[in-house]
Amino acid sequence: MKMLRFAAVGVAAALTLTACSSGDDPSSDPSEAGTPEPATIKLWLNGTDTGDALREYLVTTFEAENPGSKLVIEEQDWSGLVPRLQTALASEDQTPDVVEIGNTQSATFTYAGAFSDISDLYEEVGGAKLLQGFVDAGIADGKNYALPYYSGARAVFYNKDMFAAAGVEVPTTIAEFGEAAKKLQSDSVSGFWFPGQDWYNGATWLYTAGGDFAVQEGDEWKGALSEPKSIEGLEQVADLFANATNAPADSDSNEPWVPFNAGQAAMFSAPTWARWSIDLPQCNKGVDPDDTSDEAKALRGEQQACNEEHTGVFAMPGNAAGDYATAFAGGSNIAVAAKSKNQDLAKSLVRIIYSPEFQQMLGENGLIPGNTEYASSMGDDVYAQAAISAALNAKLTPAAEKWADVEGDRILEDFFQQIATGADVAEAAAAADQLLADTLN
Amino acid sequence: MAATAPAVDVTGAAPVTPRRRRPPFGAYGLLVPAAVVIGVALGYPLVRQFVISFQEYGLRQQFGQPAEWVGLANYTDLLTDPYVWTVIGRSILFCLLNAAVTMVVGVALAVLMSRVGKVARTTLQVSLLLAWGTPVLASMTVWQWLFDTQYGVINWVLSEVLGIDSMAGHSWIIEPLSFYFVATVIVVWMSVPFVVFSVYAGLLQVPEETMEAAQLDGASGWQRFWGITIPMMRPVLSIVMLLQVIWDLKVFTQIYVLQRAGAPTRDTNLLGTLIYSYAGEFSKAGALATIMLVITLALTGFYIRQMLKEDEL
Repeated sequence: MKMLRFAAVGVAAALTLTACSSGDDPSSDPSEAGTPEPATIKLWLNGTDTGDALREYLVTTFEAENPGSKLVIEEQDWSGLVPRLQTALASEDQTPDVVEIGNTQSATFTYAGAFSDISDLYEEVGGAKLLQGFVDAGIADGKNYALPYYSGARAVFYNKDMFAAAGVEVPTTIAEFGEAAKKLQSDSVSGFWFPGQDWYNGATWLYTAGGDFAVQEGDEWKGALSEPKSIEGLEQVADLFANATNAPADSDSNEPWVPFNAGQAAMFSAPTWARWSIDLPQCNKGVDPDDTSDEAKALRGEQQACNEEHTGVFAMPGNAAGDYATAFAGGSNIAVAAKSKNQDLAKSLVRIIYSPEFQQMLGENGLIPGNTEYASSMGDDVYAQAAISAALNAKLTPAAEKWADVEGDRILEDFFQQIATGADVAEAAAAADQLLADTLN
Repeated sequence: MAATAPAVDVTGAAPVTPRRRRPPFGAYGLLVPAAVVIGVALGYPLVRQFVISFQEYGLRQQFGQPAEWVGLANYTDLLTDPYVWTVIGRSILFCLLNAAVTMVVGVALAVLMSRVGKVARTTLQVSLLLAWGTPVLASMTVWQWLFDTQYGVINWVLSEVLGIDSMAGHSWIIEPLSFYFVATVIVVWMSVPFVVFSVYAGLLQVPEETMEAAQLDGASGWQRFWGITIPMMRPVLSIVMLLQVIWDLKVFTQIYVLQRAGAPTRDTNLLGTLIYSYAGEFSKAGALATIMLVITLALTGFYIRQMLKEDEL
């Protein structure tokens, strides 16, 4: 009895303490580049954007160019990526050798010294032809630590039948877009699917009006949401939340095609690869997606053609007809881990990624390749055109060292949600500016 | 940990005083494995957390830059931030409320289990085990679906079946209070089985004879419960209560998942999620974790002392 009770107290103590453990092994000096003797290197890719064919290409090419070496690709989930990288990259034994990192997360790791200086590769892999905003996000002290992998531009998908029924034309300015969305809006159908926490899409109005999330003044970062131009854009966001969407204020930007497929939204904005997720009821042939018979393939082809016939796509228009909106540039960078013991092999993999073949494969998969020279590989259908038009104008989040903390604290999700629930825009913006400044400095 | 034979007749205990002997050296040897495990698995992280809480230790330091000593700066930074105090207050309230509700529901179900027939008892046991055995993230996904704003069953039942139109599309997690209500339902649901099984085991140890004697003396069911069962089960109850307080103070997964489901993060942070959000500033996270440890000790110190005292009897 005594022992048992003692044990119970011990267990209780143990359970408390585990809650508090933190930190990681003290870091030692990064290993210097060794001789490129055969080794197995790890590449971390996030999500499923890099398809199987591309992965296979990387593995076979890498192993052919580096006889005896192996490439292992590990897929990571986007959510929770930052803490995972923080621990993995700091350990010589655990670290992946090459990592894909979200463009908005690059700056944080670049400044921390988590990546190797790969300035010597910059010219070789494309130089000025690389997506400039992405390159900037990977620069610290004038050196390149991360280079653009791909960009996924957003385009607006719309239900052609609903547009026809409401007598709405494809908008040519961002103001017209708002009018069209309101006209399409009803109790059961959202004119534009605009979830409350979706700051990625919200950024379009903020940026197009000339505003920004934060600006650097000297050494200090300052929240810029309450600047007049930002407020102008945010008022438009508030208007859309109030009058052009039924999307819940507690929903996020995940899977916006679900309500669209259910006929509950006339428009949604997403990266152009969302075309493969559109599945309108009138087109569904009920084929099993795993069925590989010719018959099933033909039916799926018909289904896709039907979906694309009823669905249109356009790049978000800008302030004047013929312009495009400045949208948030989603996408990612590629970097070599500073603690990797296989620096030369890692660089060899980076070269393969920037090879014309692989860049073209990225484009054929609907991603805008890091080297813009190969953007034409995306093809010239409406989806590619919308993606390219949107991407050329796209803009990143501020390249602040601590930007990842802003995302970690979910300051912008909270802020847009406040607007979606009808909070006063100016007040919410001032409060968010304060939080941004506290976090970034 | 079950309670034992009548603890009441301590005074009448047999006067056998065992002679105290110095334990042989081997006994210390037996302690070594446990001490090593505790030292490595708990001691090291705790010491390290404590050390970095006095340093400036962020991402840069993790990648090789020297860590600077900053004394109490991390602690003063945190403790002068009114937001941190708000979160501490919220966490303590949430913890006490959840622990209390869990205990009440748990004890009630345990008593029910000891009174009902075999079939009902087995059904109850199986359901509780299932609730307990489901992996947290799997059950969180189901809970999220239940409370989903658009497609959730709960909103559907309220609006379509019961005809409360305003509940169609109602968001359960966007208001902090309603968020904590949902979190409480989930946390209590997950912790109740442990309480039920522990308390049920304790109930089985309450001797029939004592109960029968009390019944013959005319004590009502209620009196027997409060006068005999509860005091006899004190050790079990206090340990279970202690664990609940500790668990509910450090609750993380449920809150984190619900936040990601679309709740406003800053308005719903508890200590666990706030520490987690200091991901890039390990020193600050370490300092707050240390503060949390102190709070845990303050909340549970009373119980621990009580239990150790009982042992000395």
